Amino acid sequence: MKDSILKSILTDLHFWVPVVVLIAGITLLFLLG
Amino acid sequence: MNTDTTATRGRSPCSLHQIGVMCGLAAGAWLGAAEAPTKLVTMGFSPFIISLGMVAGVFVARWTVPVALKGTAFVLMDLKEKPHLMVWAILAGMLWAVANTLTVFAIRDVGLSIAFPLWNTNSLVGLFWGWLLFNELRGSAAKDWSKVIGGAAAIVVGACLLAYATQHPTGTGPSHAMLGILAALGAGALWGTMYIPYRKAYISGMNPLSFVTVFTFGELGTTIALGAVFHGGLSNLWTELAKAQPAMFWLFLGGFCWVLGDLFQQYAAKHIGIGRGIPLSNTNQLWGLAWGALVFGELAGLGVDARFLVIGGSLVMIAGAVSISLAEAPASEQASWKKAMERECTRYHMDPARVAAVLRGEESPGNTPLKRPWWEIAIVLGALAIFIWLGLGATRQAIDVNLPWMLVLTSVSIVFLVVCGIILWRRTRFS
Repeated sequence: MKDSILKSILTDLHFWVPVVVLIAGITLLFLLG
Repeated sequence: MNTDTTATRGRSPCSLHQIGVMCGLAAGAWLGAAEAPTKLVTMGFSPFIISLGMVAGVFVARWTVPVALKGTAFVLMDLKEKPHLMVWAILAGMLWAVANTLTVFAIRDVGLSIAFPLWNTNSLVGLFWGWLLFNELRGSAAKDWSKVIGGAAAIVVGACLLAYATQHPTGTGPSHAMLGILAALGAGALWGTMYIPYRKAYISGMNPLSFVTVFTFGELGTTIALGAVFHGGLSNLWTELAKAQPAMFWLFLGGFCWVLGDLFQQYAAKHIGIGRGIPLSNTNQLWGLAWGALVFGELAGLGVDARFLVIGGSLVMIAGAVSISLAEAPASEQASWKKAMERECTRYHMDPARVAAVLRGEESPGNTPLKRPWWEIAIVLGALAIFIWLGLGATRQAIDVNLPWMLVLTSVSIVFLVVCGIILWRRTRFS
């Protein structure tokens, strides 16, 4: 993947919202487990 | 974007809105039908094993269906044109797997009747993200807002009534109730957020068949990782899986039905957005209930009050689906969708005219038919062989089924599959 595309991904809100929610979900899972 | 209301090439008289609505309803039918084979699995296996068995079936089907419908060359060309979307497809698969695992804990701690309505709020979460990030409902009149939001809320309320009416004692104490509620809400938030990648992919012109092919890697990889963590390692997980082999055919069959439902959900999200498409596909609870009540006789011991609640909940859910079905996005809202699409094109250097054409169902990567290599047949035959092999080793489950109702529901599901499949093909060539 080109650097410019990688940069576009890493500065995209559409990327970070699912990532943050995913991390929160995994954290919750380990708290429950 | 979806500015046309009739077929542009004389293939089908249906508008893209009508196609999206049909796909949403077909998704509900098949996602609901997916619950039926899993009911044939007798108790005794851990929920992780049941989930992993189903996801393995999903993995097989998710490779086979796209190959059969469009071919590997098409899928690879689509992915090559929009490589950045593979990141979102993997992310979506991971979100699905974590959410699915959270539901295991939610059911353990508060029972299905409380957990299900809580995670069913995922459609409202998706609606919010669709509005915030993809301009859905923007530019619409108040009556369209009320039809969509009212319809989505009605489907959630209907789900609550059905879950309440059909609740069974779980035998779990209230000590973990708060954690169970958190787990169910968390699952709803994760599934609702999973629709961000869906919509992202489709306003960028990606084909749903390409998206699910990558999605399944995130899904299977995360499910295996979580299963290994909660079973004390991979070797323990494989041992448990081997024990479950007699039930694996039913889980694979459930996974296969689930893939068909999920594909229709993807097309619904593509053609009418996540705000409208996801609530429609969430009518799967109605179908799950129909299978449970009519085929497996699960509601036989229900009192009169509970039966009224079931009828009331079903009617509310149907009213919600009708309300959303009638809320076609007006030109002003479609102009907002177009802005979101153009923003993606600018950011990721895609051709807006080409993407717009794909979204109208007019064009797909390499419009000329691509040559199908011989080994695509081998992939399809290989998947078929796996199902036959598992079927030969499957044990007959000691559970009563109502055969006439089973035939009726199966026939209705197949009618949905064939009719929607033909319309999708004639109008969009599964683009």
